[in-house]
Amino acid sequence: MKTQSIAFSLILLGSLALTGCGGTAPAAAPKVEKQTFESGTTMDKLATAGTIRIGTKFDQPGYGLKGLDGKPEGFDVEIGKIIAAKLGIAADKIEWVETPSKVREESIIQGKVDMITATYVVTDERRERVGFGGPYYMAGSDLMVKADNTAITGPESFKSGGLKVCAGVGSIDGDKLKPHLADPTNQLVEFDVLSKCEDALRTGQVDAMTAGDSILNGLAATNKDTYKVIGKPFFVQPYGVGMTKGDTKFCEFVNKTLKDAAADGSYERAWKETAGKDIDKVAQLPEPAPCA
Amino acid sequence: MTLFSKGAERTVDTFPAPRGDGETATEQAAALIQLRGVNKHFGPLHVLKDIDLDVAEGEVVVVIGPSGSGKSTLCRAINRLETVDSGTIELGGVPLAVEGKSLASHRADVGMVFQSFNLFAHMTVLENVTLGPIRVRKVPPAKARAQAMELLERVGVGQQAPKLPAQLSGGQQQRVAIARSLAMQPRVLLFDEPTSALDPEMVNEVLDVMTDLAQEGMTMVVVTHEMGFARKAADRVVFMADGAIVEQASPAEFFDNPRTSRAQDFLSKVLSH
Amino acid sequence: MDVILDNFDLFWQGWLRTIQICFFALLGAVPLGILLAAARVSPVPSLRTLAGGWVTVLMSCPLTVVLFFMAFGLPEIGIKGSYFWFGTIGLALYSASFVCEALRSGINAVPTGQAEAARSIGLSFMPSLGLVILPQALRSSLPPLTNAIIYLIKNSAIVGAFGVGHDLFAVADTLTAARGLAALPVLAGVIAGYLLLVLPIGRLLSLIETKVAILR
Repeated sequence: MKTQSIAFSLILLGSLALTGCGGTAPAAAPKVEKQTFESGTTMDKLATAGTIRIGTKFDQPGYGLKGLDGKPEGFDVEIGKIIAAKLGIAADKIEWVETPSKVREESIIQGKVDMITATYVVTDERRERVGFGGPYYMAGSDLMVKADNTAITGPESFKSGGLKVCAGVGSIDGDKLKPHLADPTNQLVEFDVLSKCEDALRTGQVDAMTAGDSILNGLAATNKDTYKVIGKPFFVQPYGVGMTKGDTKFCEFVNKTLKDAAADGSYERAWKETAGKDIDKVAQLPEPAPCA
Repeated sequence: MTLFSKGAERTVDTFPAPRGDGETATEQAAALIQLRGVNKHFGPLHVLKDIDLDVAEGEVVVVIGPSGSGKSTLCRAINRLETVDSGTIELGGVPLAVEGKSLASHRADVGMVFQSFNLFAHMTVLENVTLGPIRVRKVPPAKARAQAMELLERVGVGQQAPKLPAQLSGGQQQRVAIARSLAMQPRVLLFDEPTSALDPEMVNEVLDVMTDLAQEGMTMVVVTHEMGFARKAADRVVFMADGAIVEQASPAEFFDNPRTSRAQDFLSKVLSH
Repeated sequence: MDVILDNFDLFWQGWLRTIQICFFALLGAVPLGILLAAARVSPVPSLRTLAGGWVTVLMSCPLTVVLFFMAFGLPEIGIKGSYFWFGTIGLALYSASFVCEALRSGINAVPTGQAEAARSIGLSFMPSLGLVILPQALRSSLPPLTNAIIYLIKNSAIVGAFGVGHDLFAVADTLTAARGLAALPVLAGVIAGYLLLVLPIGRLLSLIETKVAILR
């Protein structure tokens, strides 16, 4: 909702060196199998309808980034496709709905989407309003600095004040970094999209930026001489599958689907072809959280 | 000291010799205001045509003529509220500046009384009169106020000093406007149809003040339709038509024996009722 | 209500930050607007053209473009500074053109005879403007001036998005996006915060308006 020049954001996004993520080829389509489910369940409803609305981000390289063909690509998108396939819904029957961070809860509660895979970090506060399947990935909030920067070695480097760090506005990374800052109002610079943070880091307006580690690793990998990631996550972020609160059966179905995907290798393939493309980190499916 | 002193304390150095083409007797006095070959156009309209005019120190010149004859424009040109296309306008031998500080000081020396009074609407009567002396002449405020009160008493509106202009009648406002001009101790006073916007019953209170001024020797250029005032107070009547000075003479001569047919025609219309 | 009370400190800090942005932006916009208006009615043609061009460009430029230039254009050409000042100065420059036009409409509403009378007693341009024209122009300028100031306050939310942050509107992002609170009560708190800013200022200005009313 924050007024922003969409055109400029797009130009910036396009001009940034995010090609490693943006240019990801779509993963091989997961195998679609016709299934029958216990009647009355969310799975039954979706399988019968033959279509599903999945919320994801359209501006998150490596996770959910809308390409020139109008379809989002990324790890979140692949996870969505894996779950849809288990419901007997082919990728082309998925309706992708853009869900930026601040509308995710509302989108679920108001029934605008059937589920969300959108770098959606599971927190207790959010669990009060929505339910989560998974988590399907453990991201860490990390810091990225210019390659020649020696002043910043971790979150504790900001204690002395003065140094500035950039975060996505309303991002959990920025919010969790605040306690490490001497003067959050002046040290924490927030932008609506991370590409602007990268711009601010490049021009020296800020000394560091914070985001999920795989996002930062992706950026650093494509700009090896420019940036480096500190590699000391100060907050662990479990990415979950957002759904209606209390839908225990759908949650259990999602968890089983993820477990099967990890077992048959489609989980790892999805990672390698998207967010994990240019980095060494191998995604491990985390232990699922209890559904009830 | 009379408050209506016409700036006689000021020394006026040299004056160009008056033109010897047989104009009226007052021409023999030194010309305080001198216009030579003044032309002005409003688009295709030629509103001032080759105007030559001299006004001597202490002279009262009344400019009359049908509407649209250019007499108001002439009056405003002397104060450079209207620019002219060609010709020269001099005050005391000094050409009128085009802009800036010297133009401002020229204007301070030339008082102007407007048809619509133009009192500063947000200031009291007293403030209207003291603004110029304090800001332009650098008179100490207390002294400026005392002088302003004397002037306001003199024109008969001393009681109105603390009021805002809108609380006064038109006649009172115009007398304040005269006091405002006088407070600058101008060398000449210009009147641009000073009674045209007044209700008939207020015309005389303003004309009386102007007559007094004329008798005290103030140099005045008065554009008006008040023929009675012209006959009584003028030293010279200038008759304009179609942007040109058609005829000028003493009031007695002009009103009794107009020489041109334009003047005869005009007078027959304005004096017939 | 709980959402607002539980996070009152965050709202309060955001409110103060918004006031800070507005205060400094006004501090720049009003004097600059007066200068621009003076230039636009000045007798010097080059000044008129310059000020007119400035106002035209900034009035037709979306605020986001002005702010984008400040926050990302300036660092690109090597000018570094805090985003707070980039944003606040950008807002001041942008708002000054509206202050100028509000004043100019007021100046145009003052009868020309007032300026002629001021010139006739020997006042030059600046004293005429300052002593005679502007005091009268202010009266009819106040409604558009009030609008310009209220727009400035609301536009501070856009400034917040250009790296300034931590303002009242950014609080909504923190609470909804990072902490997952319901949007409606959070927005209610944000709206209340802006109302608390805009209402007293609108009230104050209409009070001044009655005070400076001039009889005509």
